[in-house]
Amino acid sequence: MIRASELSVSLAGRPVLHGVSFEAAPGRMTAIVGPNGSGKTTTLKAISGELHLTKGKVTINGRDIARLKPWELALKRGVLPQSTVISFPFTVREIVGLGLSTSGAEVAGNDRTVDDALEAVDLAGFSGRFYQELSGGEQQRVQLARVLCQIAAPVSDGEPRYLLLDEPVSSLDIRHQLTIMQLARQFCEQGGGVIAVMHDLNLTAMFSDQMVMMKAGRIRACGAPKDVLTDETMEAVFGCRMQVGIAPARDVPFVLPQTASL
Amino acid sequence: MPRSEALSGARGRALAASIAHARREGDRSGLARMLIAALAVLAAATFATSIMTGAADASLGNVVRWLAGETAADQALSMRDRIIILDIRLPRAVLGMLVGAALAVSGVVMQGLFRNPLADPGLVGVSSGASLGAVLLIVLGSTAFGPVFAIFGFYALPLGAFCGGLITTMLLYRIATRSGQTSVATMLLAGIALGALASAVTGVLVFIADDKQLRDLTFWGLGSLAGANWTKILAAGPIILLSLGVVPFLARGLNAITLGEAAAFHMGVPVQRLKNIAIFSVAAATGASVAVSGGIGFVGIVVPHLLRLVIGPDHRYLLPASALLGGTMLIFADMLARTIVSPAELPIGIITAFVGAPFFLWVLLRRRSNMGL
Repeated sequence: MIRASELSVSLAGRPVLHGVSFEAAPGRMTAIVGPNGSGKTTTLKAISGELHLTKGKVTINGRDIARLKPWELALKRGVLPQSTVISFPFTVREIVGLGLSTSGAEVAGNDRTVDDALEAVDLAGFSGRFYQELSGGEQQRVQLARVLCQIAAPVSDGEPRYLLLDEPVSSLDIRHQLTIMQLARQFCEQGGGVIAVMHDLNLTAMFSDQMVMMKAGRIRACGAPKDVLTDETMEAVFGCRMQVGIAPARDVPFVLPQTASL
Repeated sequence: MPRSEALSGARGRALAASIAHARREGDRSGLARMLIAALAVLAAATFATSIMTGAADASLGNVVRWLAGETAADQALSMRDRIIILDIRLPRAVLGMLVGAALAVSGVVMQGLFRNPLADPGLVGVSSGASLGAVLLIVLGSTAFGPVFAIFGFYALPLGAFCGGLITTMLLYRIATRSGQTSVATMLLAGIALGALASAVTGVLVFIADDKQLRDLTFWGLGSLAGANWTKILAAGPIILLSLGVVPFLARGLNAITLGEAAAFHMGVPVQRLKNIAIFSVAAATGASVAVSGGIGFVGIVVPHLLRLVIGPDHRYLLPASALLGGTMLIFADMLARTIVSPAELPIGIITAFVGAPFFLWVLLRRRSNMGL
């Protein structure tokens, strides 16, 4: 369980988060949604431990992350950033392999693990390519493969592990959006936990168990997608008057921009 | 397409795939190990050659026999040969190896830390800062800094250069890095500004220096191994070897930090500690090198860049390979410096600048077309 309690964060002296609290249970996929600048990424960064909290605390499996060493944290959770610019000519295999070598888990089966991770993100056969020559979406998937090398097993030593994903599908085509969301889903089903910052409300509704909807650094709604994604929250949070529909076959809510009254 | 051709095409692809798998596409670690071994041989060969070449004719064979105690009466080593080889050429080659390795490895560490292949201690003002530290000690050594010499003896100069280099590197890092990302333009420009400031202060010191101090100072501007002797090696060697010994432990952290400081932290690297150790060892290695050989530029940028083209940026291999190639290249440049205009000598800094400056421009142009710097 990752538990964020009363998180407050200031960036460059400006308060960005105001008392954000929620829980992300293992086996469940938690999605953080909200308009641009609502504090989604900042929340994820606070949970990853890279930001200084002005108030509140984050625990991971009951342990305060402020008291964990970087390498202890690295064994409990992996983080996928929004985008990564690299100015050195690494090959794809070398980048993905970084996930292994820094977690101290370097063993004989290395190449197998790297190949498996690349296969999982549908990049089999890309290991010899240069990272800088790939498209944005491909680079994003290479980074995800690296994170999967760091956090290979969803459960280790009886403890669930977590993936923190910052807009994992934002620059992907629709097929790879589904591939990656399914991958995250699978990680949850095997006992791990996922917290993802998402923009696509429909993918979120389809794949997540819990939606955390933020506005202006505060949580405005939290719960199952069916309860969070309503006409009222769409208007209150996004300022869009639109109708939320329900896809009958799956009992999953969806929103179409065509329903908005502009 | 005829059926048979399609089949052979498919079979060819399968074969290519299996070959690719056998040599693990994208894995350059085997190549890197081979290159390091080859560089070690090359370094040893260059070292030996440099001891045998020079204005005077002194044969290495005689020295080896003399060292092995096989001096027959007819092959007795002349006093002149002994002095030339043991007290002039040998310390010069050892110093070249040490300084070359220190400069190249400092370049690699700075480039890794700044996530930028154009960072180099000479280019961004660290060497100027180190020079200032040394010049301060030379000029004010008899007055304000007298006690420093009394306490540290011949370690005082390397220490002064180290402090100058450390302050410059820390300032540079603070200026150029905002929330974990380093701006290329800010770093280069801030480096120029800091270097200019250090040179200006150095200029003031040169102005107030007396004649004897001036003679000592002229040497800093040029950069040369000509003054090599065993005392200098004793002063700078331990500092350089210590920082070269620490750096391999940074390799994994430097690999991770190429993805950004946040990503490195996510992967379990204690980022602040890594930065502190890296800055400290760069300042120590550069400072010690500057103290004994003046400002020799561009080694730290040419060597790592060439190696990255072949074995990639993995610091576990890049660091040892750079140390070997850096030492080799500096000894080679020194051989050129003392034979081109023999029996006179060119300052080695002139040769490294002639090779390095065009190289730097080439890197700059290539990067501009690749990623819009």
